[in-house]
Amino acid sequence: MSKRGGSFSRRAMLLAALGLAGIAASGTAQGADVAIVVRPDVPVDNLTFAELRRLFLGDRQFWTSNLRVTLLVRAPGAREREVVLKTIYQMSEAQFRQYWIAKVFRAEAASGPRIVYSSEMAAELVSGMPGAVAFVDADLVPKGLKVLKINGLLPGTKGYPLH
Amino acid sequence: MRRITLLCVVIAIGAPRSRAQAADPATKELIEKLLARIDGLEKRVAELEKGGATASANAPQAAASPAPAPAKAPSAALAMHQSHDQAPAPQTAGPESAPVYPSLKIAGFSDLDFSATNLHTSSAGFGAQTLIEPHSGFEEGQFTLHFSSALSPRVTMFAETTLTARSDAGTGTPPAPGFNPEVERVIIRYDLNDYFKLSFGRYHTPINYWNTAFHHGQWLQTTISRPEMTQFGGSFIPVHFIGSLAEGAAPAGGLNLNYAVGMGNGRGQVIGRGGDFGDINNNRAWLANAFIKPDGLYGLQLGGSVYRDELNPLTAPAAREWIESAHVVWQKETPEFIAEFANVGHQPVSGATASNSQAFYVQTAYRLPWLEKQWKPYYRFEYIHVPKSDAIFRSVVPTFHASTVGVRYDITTFAAFKFEYRSYVRRDLPSIHGFFGQTSFTF
Repeated sequence: MSKRGGSFSRRAMLLAALGLAGIAASGTAQGADVAIVVRPDVPVDNLTFAELRRLFLGDRQFWTSNLRVTLLVRAPGAREREVVLKTIYQMSEAQFRQYWIAKVFRAEAASGPRIVYSSEMAAELVSGMPGAVAFVDADLVPKGLKVLKINGLLPGTKGYPLH
Repeated sequence: MRRITLLCVVIAIGAPRSRAQAADPATKELIEKLLARIDGLEKRVAELEKGGATASANAPQAAASPAPAPAKAPSAALAMHQSHDQAPAPQTAGPESAPVYPSLKIAGFSDLDFSATNLHTSSAGFGAQTLIEPHSGFEEGQFTLHFSSALSPRVTMFAETTLTARSDAGTGTPPAPGFNPEVERVIIRYDLNDYFKLSFGRYHTPINYWNTAFHHGQWLQTTISRPEMTQFGGSFIPVHFIGSLAEGAAPAGGLNLNYAVGMGNGRGQVIGRGGDFGDINNNRAWLANAFIKPDGLYGLQLGGSVYRDELNPLTAPAAREWIESAHVVWQKETPEFIAEFANVGHQPVSGATASNSQAFYVQTAYRLPWLEKQWKPYYRFEYIHVPKSDAIFRSVVPTFHASTVGVRYDITTFAAFKFEYRSYVRRDLPSIHGFFGQTSFTF
């Protein structure tokens, strides 16, 4: 096999692996809770579901007077995004996009949420950005981040609302 | 081997397609990023196979791939991209993915309209954007650009500019048709916290719901045009406000109380315009607005406002103006419900008889669950009553009641077709009936 052919073959294998891994992940992660993660220096440990909704709607923009909230949202297609749209926003994908266009349009926010493409990327940005908040699969929460309780409940607890 | 490879490619490409629309730009971009990631990983593997020295020499390239990396690597920030529901991507990623200021973001809206009515004379007081014209035909809507930018963690700016087709906006004598440019809004805001934000600029006056919810992007609103009481170019409420606002929000025990208080120049001598060049008298206009969005009824908004000014119009005696308004809104689509009421009181400074004019509208819509939820029928009833004793309004605000029935079809997430039929019953004047169409979009 030529060098070019080998490279193509390796790329195809990797693509296939990524595709199959995606299928497997979507299958095994079905029903897993979604955790809300922040940096440990965010002075909040627990949010009510209503407070969480205000946070993700962009109505609450400050953790404290000196710490602004930065929302990180998974790209379309991620199961965590679907969970958050269904439970917190109660919006379709189109409604979610329209909501944020309107929010910026009304000058209520300078920009919409930042988009991340994986739990690793979300964790990396939350670690690096003061005030950032993201949602990740509860089974994939990296060390060094704080998981917020919702209504006093951590992911995996009976009654936890994000799943 | 080639067949196996082809099969692998089909599986790999097919997997994400089963979960998202093939035409979705975000999915395409994700695939591109995955390919870039594979490229990066392959390079990295090749470098490692050649030896550690080579790998360290190419460290920046490796860091640009989203391979497992230290928390402070810029890879994630670089991988962020920008779309309509996102923040501007940082141009350069700092050690902690620090935001870059200013972070200008531009968005646009536009629309193209069609109208055909039985009106054969002047529209007599209806705003230009109501599209009631003596001739049927197509009309270019407004071309709107929005600029938003964070200047620091606490300071943001926002501007809205429009180009509006007008019969007299061009050059020559008589003026040729052309486009009229306008700075509709320009706002700079200092955010102390959620409870207190101070801003200065030119606003859409926050004394009712529609005027602060939909602005100049026709695509965002369900219907083709605004209710006449809050129409651009109309005079019933002062659509624009030049001055300063203090605003904020507090949880208030789950009620989510929002407030805004402001002081500004008030109406100009042409009362449909704000006092852009300064106040026309020494009486500032002021306003107070409050609304709640209860946690227990997600989607509900209830609010009211008061507004005070002294008017010195070109065509009527000076008068003190009081406006009281209220609104109730269900901010969802199954159903959507918006209702507003406003009373405008004019007390002539000379002591002549005071007058009160009222307006309200009720609009409801429902996003149908079938056909990919692209259809949204709607109905609106609106009413304006100006007493003949109101010297300021009687020549510029029409008295009528009207029904609008229509349907909105969302072609894509960012573009829509709207078709509607309207019937206006006017005081002392013939009724107007018409068909209206619009395509509106954001870009």
